[in-house]
Amino acid sequence: MSRFLRHVALPVATLILWELLGRTGHLPDFLSTPSGIGAALAEIAASGELARHLGISLLRAVSGFAIGAAAGVLFGLAAGISAPVRNFFDAPVSLLYPVPKIAFYPIILLWLGLGDLSKIVVVAVSVWFPVFIAAIEASRAVQLQLVWAAQSMGAGRGIVFRRVVLPAALPQLFAGLRVGLALAFVSLFAAELIGANTGLGYLVADGEQNLRFDIMFAGIVVFGVIGFLADRLLLVVRRRMLRGQLIGTAEGAF
Amino acid sequence: MAAARRLIARWYSVPLLLALWQAASLAGLVSPRLLPDPRLVAQTFWADLMNGTLVHHAEFSIMRALLGYAAATVVGTAIGLVMARSRLARDFVEPVFFFGYPIPKIALFPVFAFVFGFGTPSKIAFVFLECLYPIAIATYFGFAQVPERHIWAAQSMGAGRSTVLWRVMIPAALPAIFSGLRIALPIAIVVVIITEMIGDTTGLGFYITNAAVSFKYPGVYAGIAAVAILGFAFDRAFALLRNRVIHWERQHLALY
Repeated sequence: MSRFLRHVALPVATLILWELLGRTGHLPDFLSTPSGIGAALAEIAASGELARHLGISLLRAVSGFAIGAAAGVLFGLAAGISAPVRNFFDAPVSLLYPVPKIAFYPIILLWLGLGDLSKIVVVAVSVWFPVFIAAIEASRAVQLQLVWAAQSMGAGRGIVFRRVVLPAALPQLFAGLRVGLALAFVSLFAAELIGANTGLGYLVADGEQNLRFDIMFAGIVVFGVIGFLADRLLLVVRRRMLRGQLIGTAEGAF
Repeated sequence: MAAARRLIARWYSVPLLLALWQAASLAGLVSPRLLPDPRLVAQTFWADLMNGTLVHHAEFSIMRALLGYAAATVVGTAIGLVMARSRLARDFVEPVFFFGYPIPKIALFPVFAFVFGFGTPSKIAFVFLECLYPIAIATYFGFAQVPERHIWAAQSMGAGRSTVLWRVMIPAALPAIFSGLRIALPIAIVVVIITEMIGDTTGLGFYITNAAVSFKYPGVYAGIAAVAILGFAFDRAFALLRNRVIHWERQHLALY
């Protein structure tokens, strides 16, 4: 129990201190107070504004992530299996990897406009890179003996891929998907902040502009929570899919 | 000869893609606004490099990225070490790091801009925050996995606390720490550029958005090229440094 208390001590103390300092007027307006943020959250939830922006942001995040992840896995596995494909992607990918994909956003905006599509594209491109790189590493981590063993027992290409290569590649793939998921939310938020008129990022920017800092924080809190929950969801999926492989590891013991 | 062939196999696609781009824009297949003629991009890049514009903005971006990164390195490794060695400290900060890790911290940037001002300090502080997580967590795992036997062995030969720390624990944890540092390095660049794009009047991120809002689209690509070169140079420099520091466990660091 005392361990639990120590775990929550720092966050709870911060919240209490924040509330006290805010109420006594020792904090600048833009920091609001936890209770004020809670009230703003209730306000935008009641007016339906929260559900609208949240729904739009989720749609963008999910579809962008799905497209980018699927394309990343596909191209990455292809590059892992075939040297010519790998050689083709190697240099361009390594050059563009450290460039925030949001840098292309002005062009994407010009091309696709302010709507959902421009956000979905920038999210998909951001997700593609880490997933692609993880998928290359993943398919190269497959032990050749296992492939040979399956082949010697008469497995065809399709079965080797589905039953040997894919299961062996999954752990690394999930590592890439997790990085991609984090980047999806970063790109989405930046895109919605820079150019949008809907979504949680817009809600935050709008609250900031109208000096409704409680609404700004409410948007920030909701965005943080969905980012966190998405990560947890991915870990749950990962654990189910890797069920067999986690036996005997520290993680499988839980 | 073999080395030359490997080099060609590895890099041929860059000139190939550039040639395709050039051909497409000469044939009028792409809108010159979306994808301007690469020669125009090269001209803009060269002109802004020579008149110092790009250098000026790059200096700001590099300075912000490196200061935030350096601060995160110092604080992050210290937090990781303390977390690994003290149960009490770990109980206090563990939830902040393990639950805070997957939270998209970018959402906090508007608050940072208010607290630290819209200029350089808020960017440095934000790079610090974003880099702190991977560095602290990698350091924590690095120190946590030092085999107790090695520590006992050193102690039984009469090593004191500081000898154990400097001669046993730090060398054992360094590879893990460096892999955390390597993850954090592109994050530093990405974060600086994004935050500069959201609002600033200096830095490569500003250079890109400024080109876009003044309809100078070749400038957007010139800015992106500058960021790519910067990121690539950072990564290569880091790889060299890593193999120098951890000379007992050299790693062939692939291109990414």
